[in-house]
Order: sequence, then structure tokens, then C-alpha cells
Amino acid sequence: MQGVVGAFHEIDTTCAAIEDLKKKKIGDVTVYSPTIRHELEHAIDAPVSVVRRFTLIGGLLGVSFGYWIAIWSSEYWPLVTGGKAIASWIPYTIIGFEVMVLVGALSTVAGMFINSRIPRLTATTGYDVRFSGGYFGIFVACDAVKAPQAEALLIQHGAVEVRREA
Amino acid sequence: MASVTHPVREGIRGPNIASADVQLPAVKDYEQVDREIIATLGFTKKWFMGLMVAVLGMLIGMSAWIYQIYWGLGQAGYEPPVMWGNYIITFVFWVGIGHAGTLISAILYLFRAGFRTSIYRAAEAMTVFAVMTAGLFPIIHIGRPWKFFWLLPYPNWRLLFPNFKSPLVWDVFAISTYLTISTTFLYIGLIPDIAVLRDKETNPARKRILAILSLGWRNSDREWRHFAKAYLFLAAFSTPLVLSVHSVVSFDFAMSLVPGWHASIFPPYFVAGAIFSGFAMVWTITIPMRKWFRLEHYITLNHLDATAKVVLFTSLVVGCAYMIEFFIAWYSGVRPEQEFFWNRVFGQWWWAAWIMLLCNMALPMSLWSQKLRRNPTWLFVLSIFINLGMWFERFVIVVPSLSHEFEPWQWGSYLPSWIDMSFLIGSFGWFFMWFLLFVKQLPVMAIAELKEIVAPRRKHAGGGHH
Amino acid sequence: MSTEAGTGVKRRDFLKILGATGATTAVVGCSSEKVGKLIPYVVSPDNTVPGVSAYYATTCRECAAACGVLAEVRDGRPIKLEGNPEHPMNRGAICAIGLSAMQGVYNPDRYRSPMVREGNALKPITWDKAYALLATRIGEVKSQGTVGNVVFVNQHESGTFPGFVDQWLAAQGMPAHLSVDSLAPGATIAANQKAYGVAWPALDFGAAKLIVSFGADFLDGWGHTVPQQLDWADARGKIEGAPQFVYIGARRSLTGLNADQWIAAKPGSEMALCAALVGQGTAAAASEASDVPVATIEALAAAITKAGSGVMALSGVTTADAVECGVMVADINKKAGSVGVTIKPAAAHGGYAGMASYADLAGAVQRMGAGSVPLVFVRGANPAHTMPKSAGFAAAFAKVPFKVSFSSMPDETTVLCDLVLPDNHWLESWGDAVTTAGQIGLQQPTLDPVFDTKATADVLIDVAKRDQALAARYTVTDYRTWYISKFPGGSTAFATALTKATIAGSPLVATTPRSSTAPASLAPALASTAGEFFVHVYPSATLGDGRGANKPWLQELPDPVTKIAWQSWVEVHPQTFRKLGLREGQHLTVETTSGKVTVPAYQYMGVRTDTVALALGLGHTAYGRFAQNIGVNAYDLVPHGWDTSGALSLTASKGKLTVAPDASQLVTTEGSARQHGRGIGQAMTLEELQGGGGDEEHGHSIPGLPSQDFLSGLKSPIAADAQGDFANPDGKSTGMYDPKHSSGMESRRWAMTIDLARCTGCSACVTACYSENNIPTVGAPYQGRALSPSTWDERPGANIIKGREMAWIRLERYYEGNENTANEFSPDFDTRFVPMMCQHCGNAPCEPVCPVYATYHSPDGLNVQVYNRCVGTRYCSNNCPYKVRYFNWFGYGEPERKQYAWPEPMHWGLNPDVTVRGKGVMEKCTFCVQRIREAEHRAKAEGRPVKADEFTTACAQACPSRAIVFGDAADENWTVSKLAYDRRAYHVFEELNAFTAVVYLKKINHPAPAASAKA
Repeated sequence: MQGVVGAFHEIDTTCAAIEDLKKKKIGDVTVYSPTIRHELEHAIDAPVSVVRRFTLIGGLLGVSFGYWIAIWSSEYWPLVTGGKAIASWIPYTIIGFEVMVLVGALSTVAGMFINSRIPRLTATTGYDVRFSGGYFGIFVACDAVKAPQAEALLIQHGAVEVRREA
Repeated sequence: MASVTHPVREGIRGPNIASADVQLPAVKDYEQVDREIIATLGFTKKWFMGLMVAVLGMLIGMSAWIYQIYWGLGQAGYEPPVMWGNYIITFVFWVGIGHAGTLISAILYLFRAGFRTSIYRAAEAMTVFAVMTAGLFPIIHIGRPWKFFWLLPYPNWRLLFPNFKSPLVWDVFAISTYLTISTTFLYIGLIPDIAVLRDKETNPARKRILAILSLGWRNSDREWRHFAKAYLFLAAFSTPLVLSVHSVVSFDFAMSLVPGWHASIFPPYFVAGAIFSGFAMVWTITIPMRKWFRLEHYITLNHLDATAKVVLFTSLVVGCAYMIEFFIAWYSGVRPEQEFFWNRVFGQWWWAAWIMLLCNMALPMSLWSQKLRRNPTWLFVLSIFINLGMWFERFVIVVPSLSHEFEPWQWGSYLPSWIDMSFLIGSFGWFFMWFLLFVKQLPVMAIAELKEIVAPRRKHAGGGHH
Repeated sequence: MSTEAGTGVKRRDFLKILGATGATTAVVGCSSEKVGKLIPYVVSPDNTVPGVSAYYATTCRECAAACGVLAEVRDGRPIKLEGNPEHPMNRGAICAIGLSAMQGVYNPDRYRSPMVREGNALKPITWDKAYALLATRIGEVKSQGTVGNVVFVNQHESGTFPGFVDQWLAAQGMPAHLSVDSLAPGATIAANQKAYGVAWPALDFGAAKLIVSFGADFLDGWGHTVPQQLDWADARGKIEGAPQFVYIGARRSLTGLNADQWIAAKPGSEMALCAALVGQGTAAAASEASDVPVATIEALAAAITKAGSGVMALSGVTTADAVECGVMVADINKKAGSVGVTIKPAAAHGGYAGMASYADLAGAVQRMGAGSVPLVFVRGANPAHTMPKSAGFAAAFAKVPFKVSFSSMPDETTVLCDLVLPDNHWLESWGDAVTTAGQIGLQQPTLDPVFDTKATADVLIDVAKRDQALAARYTVTDYRTWYISKFPGGSTAFATALTKATIAGSPLVATTPRSSTAPASLAPALASTAGEFFVHVYPSATLGDGRGANKPWLQELPDPVTKIAWQSWVEVHPQTFRKLGLREGQHLTVETTSGKVTVPAYQYMGVRTDTVALALGLGHTAYGRFAQNIGVNAYDLVPHGWDTSGALSLTASKGKLTVAPDASQLVTTEGSARQHGRGIGQAMTLEELQGGGGDEEHGHSIPGLPSQDFLSGLKSPIAADAQGDFANPDGKSTGMYDPKHSSGMESRRWAMTIDLARCTGCSACVTACYSENNIPTVGAPYQGRALSPSTWDERPGANIIKGREMAWIRLERYYEGNENTANEFSPDFDTRFVPMMCQHCGNAPCEPVCPVYATYHSPDGLNVQVYNRCVGTRYCSNNCPYKVRYFNWFGYGEPERKQYAWPEPMHWGLNPDVTVRGKGVMEKCTFCVQRIREAEHRAKAEGRPVKADEFTTACAQACPSRAIVFGDAADENWTVSKLAYDRRAYHVFEELNAFTAVVYLKKINHPAPAASAKA
């Protein structure tokens, strides 16, 4: 997709640029950073991730399956051992718990993958290898008309390099 | 983050393990992090020789296994009534080691303990490989290993499932869950770092592989946002999991009626022991590593100091558990219980019990001294002693209890055979083989997280810190 | 036991009808590869149903008692021996030695064909060649005119055969044979002859009030163990009015451990004691000689007077003056007037008639040494092993130009012979035996010979046929035809008789009575010999004089007293042990004038401090893979001298001890000999039982009374916390657990009671279990583990040292009292024998811990073990408080593994109803579930419920004390359900709330009869 990408060397200038871009509403802004920085989070100020819902649902599914398999299989083959009840709730809690953690955690990961659109195996516009190293990057999605404005803004905020993505 | 000079507190001095005040003053900027961590990768002659030694050890274990499967378990040192021996001991030993990793990466993450950043990746890898090692032993241990899958709840023609009341089945669930989750946790944390390697890589073939492994990670704000949340919840799940796994392992013993096993104190006691031995193993691994990989300014004396405090604390917990066991044995007034504990400490098994008490209770007390806490050499030596002591703790739990049960006519003894020992060697070979392969392929420190600590460049210095 | 049997048909058809058929069995006899089919023949004889056992009555020939046994034959092969319930003597019981005959007939080391000496080795030949060779030899001897010097030594047996042999010998012009038995108590027999006029009067323990035994081990080998043990147990089982028992001797044997009091008299001092008791000497003098306090002697005398005609004094002394001593002991009975009351000469046992003495044998050996014996026949007897070295048998035997053996085992004597004509095992032979006077028990084959062997009688007939002079006299085809022709009433009567345990009658040919002319060279008086320790040599309770050593069951069966297996040992009192500075298992060299042996030392508080005791039975230099090169032969210590009856004096010498540097681990099954107050083997006194006060030892206000009810299946205490739907008759269907289920299993609760007042610790139950349940023996030297990649542990009993014995039922032997035994000698200690097997707990700790349901609880209260499901986590064993679960450490059932427990053809004796467990699985006592199901199926087929006491387990069936009772405790018609509520009843480890199905009845401790004032 079309847009302008700018590489920054300092974090404060990056934040300033982000806030300015959002004010000017030139286009959707994607920020690249080698690591998580609270400054950037404040500047971007995105909604809370929905991954937690995956976690909740996965956990609930897990715990119910854990209990179910234990109880159903014991009732299906009723064999008395040591005078214990055929379906013993208390020990089965352990099964329930473990399966809850298993399914819950895996669905959390699934949630993360789905929401952040990975695995992403296609080459993507607006990314630069420096962004995993020492540089911050800002990609502004915009058409050729708005591009000069975006470039100007990025340069004004001290981008060390500005490139137009076609 | 502004650097905080350590305030001198009352009592024990040094960094507070539950706060973020562990700094990396010698690490200047992002580029340095990338440069120095990536420098640790790539093969070296020394490394290769180490790997060969590990592989040899593993082969010894494997051939022992083939031999044992052919002849039967009689080749091991079992001596009824001691029906569990070296294999279960070593199993519990490795599961215990496998606890430090997730504890550091998950629990300390929730505690925001700053010192975890530099060591958690290595510890996490250690966890995964330790659990991989531990997981083999129940299979080695059973009489018909080719039937081990009967313990798994797989749908079969008769719909006959395992007995979910058996602590061994709980084990199967706990261990397999733990292995899955800690592996996932390790990998998720690795994704951004693999992306770094990918972007620095020049060889196209390797670049392609790394691109696939990194799942096309590109450090966008959206990725980071979900990443952070997912990581948080994984940590939140792993925390109770860590505690549950060794509790479940302890149920193998606590749920039986064997004198010396049947004790409600076992779960906390085992968990503390696990963390204790896990941190010791972290030392065993990271202290040489920080030297050989020139990472002293990442794993600083402050880091070691902080971990030493964890070890000191868990040592006190474990020691307390030992004492409580003896007290309860006396207080219970149950004769088999009392006679057994006497036999454990002053009878037949005194040597094992005293090795345990010396290594796990006495020696760690040296860590009250800050000088020793900040002395890598001593910590390394101590870590070896603690590993030994913890193996013997499991020996003392498993063997003497079985050898001295209710029925005096069936009192016995136990001595591991050469086969048992081959498996012990093999387990270390197997573990270090994986770990050595890991450290030269993937970063042993979380690059992205290190960058969180290192102050980024600013136009207007000083300002803007949250 | 089919009656159509006897219609005069030929032997082979007859055998077919017997179902022992054979044709194929005989053919495959020597070849392993053809075997292995479930049914060993293609066309099965009419009256055999595959998978259904036929039982044949025959007579056990393992000892002189000649008990009646039933051989369980399955598809042509005997798989187990059981006592014949109709036999007046053993009434269904059988001992470990009798049971082990199975491993005699199926012993892999038996000769598989006739053998002839070529150079140093024995090489197989055909029977024809063998006959020819023998015939020529006899011819030569006859031509030399030395036929009168031929010696025929036979293992003593009663019945027709001895007479038959003598007839044959006479016909050949040879002297009558020597019928020797190194286990027979010669001195006692001679004394009995003198005192009562019979060799072996019946002993009525029931009528006895006080038994005084001078070393007479009537529970472990002296006389006829099984019948004696039955009567003893019945008498003691009465509890009130049970006979009291004083044992006098330097060593407390198994019998001694069952006594209420042990008087540890100095060896050789029995005479003096008797003298005092019959008033021919003073107590002081006796005390002087015997080192027994005067008070005790007087108390004993008083007790004897008190008991009056209820006295039973027995002598098993084996010193030089044994016969005189025995006669004087008889005087005690005469004086008390108990002859005819407790000692019944009227009903004597005829088994010892015509027995030659050791002295007679020694005479023969002398003649051999002199070179005057041209030809020797040996059958069964093994003098090369059972004669002291000082007798110089081997040297003398070598001087005989031609030596023929009829033994089928390569024993020490046979390997010295020139020609071996292997005899059939008694399970393969015809014959008869005298039991009580006027009664004979018949002996019939239960299978065709396993190998190419022939009954000696048949061989003699065949040999005779080849001699023109004799052919006329031996027209019959074989011994059986001859026997039936002589049998009163002929074949019909014979056929009927076969089905009976015993019949009135006597041997068809009278045995020539022998006037035992005992030559000189009497054993030296004990006191005169040199050395600071008395050397007490006694026959092993399991291996006897060594004849049992080729049977792994007997080797594996721990000695009832020391609990040592597969090993020789010397018993030393702990005090002496400490004085010599020994450690357990350290080697000790015992040396007498006759020889010396070096054996591991074992601490035993039941032996005098000035005495060391050694058991016979081991030290074989031949005799097959299970016997060779294990332990030492204690005969080497015995001086070559005898008492006036000509019997070898086993305890006739002193000796000296020297501590050897090396040591070897004791092959013992014993963990701790003390029960640490855990109430495993409990006892009480008569007063306590009669309600006088509580039971101090275990603090019950009322003795016994199990703290549980035996309700049916799940409603028994297991259901206490588990019933849920299950115990509710209206509950939803719960499979086999459903009370309404057609199997009706839920209504039963299989249980067992074990009466410790009856149990003598003889361990027959253990061997019975091995036989019934295919339990592998693990102690053979080749069954060990690898100690390194290159070396294997080849010590005998290596697995047992590692505690890996597989006995599903074991006999625990706990001592009470005498805690300070290392510092002081005291004869006063109590022994508790506890048979311990799976307790089939209601709330079984082993069950819930199994991850794969390999062990669970059956609706009829059994703790079930599913071998096929077991993966071998061994958690169940850890969690078993009774430690009665056993693990297959090796592939004991895999022929290709070196640990294989049943080398061909031993596996023919396996019980087809029981799985041979594979490597890596757990096993344990099943309450003989195969017998339970068999009975249930039989009942179902006959459309009736299972009758009370219709069947029982193998251990209960064999038990010669009748201490074990098995049955359905939920049904009041079964005996067990009554016994379970006996006032002596208790559960082991009751505090663990396992609700066991095995109820023990407390032992009764009677006061010491001769308790002196101070004691």
C-alpha cells in the first residue's frame, strides 16, 4: 500500500512526530520500534488488546474438558479402586486445572497471532531492517497527494531519512 | 530510566530482588546490545568439543537403555522393597531444575523484578531442556516402556482411559502441560529477537530460515501491543503452573501411605526445593557463560547478588521443611514414622541425609555475607554443591522411606548399579547437548527486553522518562 | 482313577486310558522343539477333555512315610501334586518335599537314556547294548565265582519291590540288597524295637498332655512329618487342653521353636537328664552334666508326674549312646503309663521294615575297599554324598571293577559308575508302599516316562530273560503284569484298589528281615573328642541329606528357621558371635577330627553358646545345575562312627572354629527378625482368651474380633466411602458390580483365616503356591544380573540377596523376647510364624495409585491384578503396607533369556490355568482366582450354587497344619465365616484401615511346663 516511511534516531522526536501526525490526520500511522517503550504507547494511545478474551474462553473450555474427560471415562468403565468413589471430584480438579492452563495458554498465543496478523510471510511495505536495531520508524499510509505533507512533517520532526513507498 | 544508586538498607544489603533497580551501566545504546549479543553466536572450537562430550554422555545413556530394555529392569540396582530408585530420583531432580526458568520469566516478570532481564532467556531454555530430560525418566523407569502410552488419555477402541485418580496420571498431565507452556513461552519471547537476527543476517539462506522462524515479525506497534498482553497472560498462567507442577510431583509421594512420604508439607517443600535447585543450576550455567561470552556487564554482580538472595531464602524454606518433617514424625507418635526418621538420619542412611543437610542447609548460609554473594567463583562452587545436595534430597526421600516401611520382615537396602549411573550421565549429556546447541544458534539474552532497560537516544537529554 | 482301568489290558493301552498318554509325550520326551502346543497330542484318548484335569491316586515316595497323593494330570501331564484326602495318614495334606516331586520328574538334568562309561565320561547307549553289557558282566562275575560278593545298594523303600529285588538277586546267586536311608532315625527305630517291640509306634498327640522331645524333630524330618504335624496341629488347635511341649537339645530346631519351653541341654547329656527323670540319677548330677539348672530338671520331673499317662517322651538323639538314651526315654513313657495312650505300638508304621543300617553299608564299603566286590548296583541311594569323607567311599568304590547305577539323576555316586540304567521317577512307575501296618498304598504311573528311562523292576526282568538259567522263572512281560498276577483278586480287584488311597494288605513279597550286625568302630563318646565347640549337624528340613538339592523349589524355599536359601551356613549364638568378633556372613572354618568346612556365619539365638550347628543338604559336586557347587557338605564334619544300632552319629564330635578373612552376603529373605511392636504375629495367653483381663501386648479389652464385618462384595468395608450408586440395589446398572448382575459375584466376599496356634512354619504353603501359580524360582546361579558390561553375578541366590524372590506367600518368622541376646544366653524366647500373602484389602492402597487400572477391586472382594494391562510403574508395591507384591525384574518366563526359570522339560509342570508372567509386570497372590472361577463354572455347568467349602486355595490345600482356611466370608455356611469372628481374630496393621480379607487368629502362648521357681 502507498505511504511514507520515516526513520528516527531519537525517541522523543518520534513521539512528537506521532502526536503531530495524529493531530493532522494525514493517514493511518504505523510505528516501528526495536522494543516496547512507554513513551510510544502514550503517544500512540491504542485501545486495549483483545487477547485477554481468548485467554478467558480458552481457560473455561480447558477446565470443563478436563473435568469431563476424567468423569466420563471413569463412569464409562466403572472400576472400583481402593474404595474411592468412581468419579472423584477432588483429584479430578488437578486434571481440570492442568487442562485449563494448557488450553488457556495456547489460545492466548493463538489470540496474539490472530490479532497481530502473524505469521506474516509476505514482504511488507514500510518496514526497514533498522527498525529492529537502533531506529524508530513511522509509516504514514497516504496517497500521492498527501505524501509531500507527510514527508515535510516527518522531516520537520527530525527524521534521519524519509522514503516514499509505492 | 535514571540509574538508582543502591540505598544502604537495614540488615541485608544489595539490590532489592523485588524491584527494578538492577542497572546495566556499561551498556550504552541499542546498537551495542545488538552487537554484543549477536557476537555470542556462531561455532567455536571449544564449544564444539563441549558438544562432543555432551553427545558422548547421551550415547552412554542410550546404550544403557537398549541394554535394559533387552534384559529387563533387573539390571538396575532395585532391591525390593525399594521399588523406585535412581530413575525417579533423577526425574524429580530434573523437574526441580526445570522450575527456575519459568519462575524467573513468569513470576519475577509479574513482580517486575529487574534482575530477571539478563538471565531469564538462559533460564527459560534451561527449563525446557531440563523438563525434556525429566520427561524421559518415567518411561525409562517403568517395566514395559513400550507401553508407556497407556498412561495417556488417547481415544482407543475399548475406550479404556487411564485412572485419573492416580498421581502418576496427574504427573503425565502436569509435566506435559508444563513442557508445552514453557516451550511456547520461550518461543514467544524469542520472536522479536529472531527478527533482529533476521535483519542483521547477510547470508540469504539463513535469512530465509530466520524470516520463517520470526513469523515475519516487524516490530509494529500493533504487534507489540498484543505481544505485551499475551506475554502478560502467559506469565499469569505459568505462575500457578510452576507451583502446581512440583506440587503434583510431590503428590506421587504425599498421596501414598509410606512413612516419610505421607506428609501434607510436601507440596510447598518440593516447590521451594525446586526453585532452590533451579537457581543453583542457573548459576552453574550462567556464571561460566557470562565469562566465556564476555557478558559480565549484562549479568552483573548485582544480578548474582539478587539471585543469591533467592537461593538463601529458598534454602531457609527447605531447611525449615526438613526440621518440620522430623518434628511431625516425633509429634505424630506413629511408631513406623518415628523409627523410619531415626533410621534416615542416624541409621542405615545417615550419610545420604547428612550430605543433604550439609549442601542444602549449611553451605547456603554463607550467602548471608554480601562479599560471597558477589563472588562468582564461590557461587559456582556452591551451585555444584547444591545440585549434589538436591539430588541427595530426592535420594533421601525416595530410597530410605521405601527401605524401612511398615513390614519389618521386608526391610531392605538399595545401591544404584552401573546401569543406573549410565542413565544419570546420559541425562546430563542429553541436557547439555540441547543447551549447547541452543546458545550458539539463538541469543542467550532477550535483546528486545534489554533495550527496554537501556536508555534510548533523545534530542533533549533527560526529559520524558515515565 | 478310572475303574475301567484294570481290564487286564496291555500297559500302553492302560496308560492311554489313564489319560497320561503318552505316546506323543513319550516321543517328544527328549525334544524341546516339538513341545509347546497346548495339547501335546493329536488324537486325544477318550476320557480326557482338553483343559480339564484328571486326578490319579498314587503314593509319594519322597520319604519313608509314603503319604497318599493325587496327581493332577492335564492333557497327559501331571501339573501338580496334592494330598489325598482319603488317605488315613496325611488326610489331604502334603509337604514341600512331596510337592517338589514335580521338579524331580521334570528335572532337566535327568539322564535321557542309558549311559556307559567311555574314558572319563558317560556316553549314551541303547537299552539293548546296555542289557548286553550288563549280562556279559554278570556272566563274567558268575564264571569267576565271586557272585556272592555282589553288592546291591538301594534307597530304602517299603512295599513289594525290595522283596522282588531280593528274589532276583537270590536267583542270580547274589546276597540280599542293602536298603539304606541316611535320613531314617536309626537309633530311635532300634530303641523303639527294644522298648515297644515295633519300629515306629503311632504317636497320638491328641491324647498327650505333655510332650517331652529329646531332639526329636517330629515337625521337620524326624519320622513322618506330615501325619505327625497334622496330629500335632489338631491337638494344639484345641487351644484348651492342648498338649504342652518341652524341647530338649543343644539347638532349637523348627520343632523346638514350636515348643512352649526349650531346655538347652549340653550335647550328649541327654542320658544324664533321662536318668534323673526316671529316677536312676540325681537332678544335681544331671544338672552337672547337662548345664541345666536343677530347679528346671525338678520342675520337668514334676510336670511329667503331673501329666501322668498324658506324657509323650520322644528321643531323636544322634550321639554315640543314642540307642540307650532312646530306651531310657521310653522308660519315661512306661513309668508314666502312657504306652498305649500317647504312644501306640499297636498301630505301628511299617515303613522301616527291612532297613539296613549305616554300619551295614560301611561294611560293604570296607569289602569294596578290600577289592573283593566284583560288581555293585546302586539305586537311588547316594553314598558318595551321604557318607562322611572319612568313610573313604569314593576310594573304595573305585576299586570295584564294574559299577551299575539305576539312578536317573547324575548324582555323586552315579557319575562314578560304569553303567547307568536310569530308573523311572515314581510318578512314572508302578509300585506299592507300606503305610501303617497292614495297610498298603498303591502307586501308579501318571505319565509315560518323560525320557528314555525304564523301571528298574522291568530292567531286572529283561536282564533275567537274557539268562537261559533264569528265563524260565521270569516269563512275565513286565513288573506290572507280574504285580497284578500276584495281586489278591487279580486285575479287577487291582483296578478297584487303584482308586483307593490305601487298602488292607501287605507287600506281595515279604521283605527279608535283617539282623543288623553292627560291626565295631562305634562313634566316640562326645565328651572324649577334642575342640572347644560342639558341632551339631542336622538334616535340612527342606533338602534332607541333599536329595532335595536338585529341585529349585526346595533350594528357593528358605530354611524354616534361618530363612536362608541356596546357601550353607553355620549357626552361632550371638554371644559367641560377638566374642569371635564376627560380622554377619563372615566365613568361619569349622574343623573336626574328620574334616573341615568353611561357611558364612549366621547369628542364631536358638543354639547353645558352646555349640555351632550346620545343616546337611548342600555341597554337591554333581547332581545337576541346581545343586552342583552350592554350599558345603556338612557330612565332612561327621566322624565315621555309629551307635549300637549302626546308625551314623551326626552329633558325635566337638570341633574348633577359626575365623576366615572373607565374607559373603547371606542369601536370606529376612529383613528384621523383630516385629518392633507392630503386631504382625500376635499372641495371647489362655487366661486372656478365657476372658481374664485384656491383652497386654496389644491393648485390646476383648481379644481379637476384627473391627469390621465381612459384608458381600462392595458392601464390605470397601464400600464405606465408595458406594455411591454401587451399594444401592436400586442404583443404575454398574456392570459386574451390580447386585442384580447375573454373575452374582457381588454377593460374595472371598476371605481367608490363618490360625497361628496351628501354624508350625513348615512352609509347605509356599511351595504349593509355587506349584499352583507358576511362580519362577530366581536363585539359580545362572539367573543373576550383570555387575558390569562383561561380568555377571553368578552367586547362588544373587537375586534373593537383592530381595527379588517371588514367593507370593512367604513365611515370616519373628522372635519375641531375648532382646539382650548378644550379651547373655537365654533359652526363653517366643517365635511367631506368620504366613503373609496379599491381604486382598477392601480399601486396597495399591489400587488407586495404578495409572492404568492394572489392579482394581473385583465385585467379589478380590484385589485383581491384570498382568496384560500392567506397565510396571511399581507404585502399587510402594503403597502396599504388607509388601506382598512381586515384580518381574527379568524375563523369567522367556526361554531365550538366561534367567529362564523352567528349562525344558520343567515347563511341562506349569499350570495351564495360570499365565506365566512377562518381564516388567507386577504380580501377587490372587487367592487362586483360577480355582475360584473353576469352581464357579463347574457349579454353573451343574446348575447349582457353589457349595460351602467346595474348593480351596493351593496353600490351604497343602497346609499340613490345617492353619489356612479359605472361603466366602459373606456366606455363613463357609467355615471361614465362622472362624473370622473367633475371639482370637485380628487384622495385621488394622490401624491402616485397609480392611483386609485375611484374618489371623492369635497364637496361644502356653506357660513353660517346666518353669522352675526362679524362671
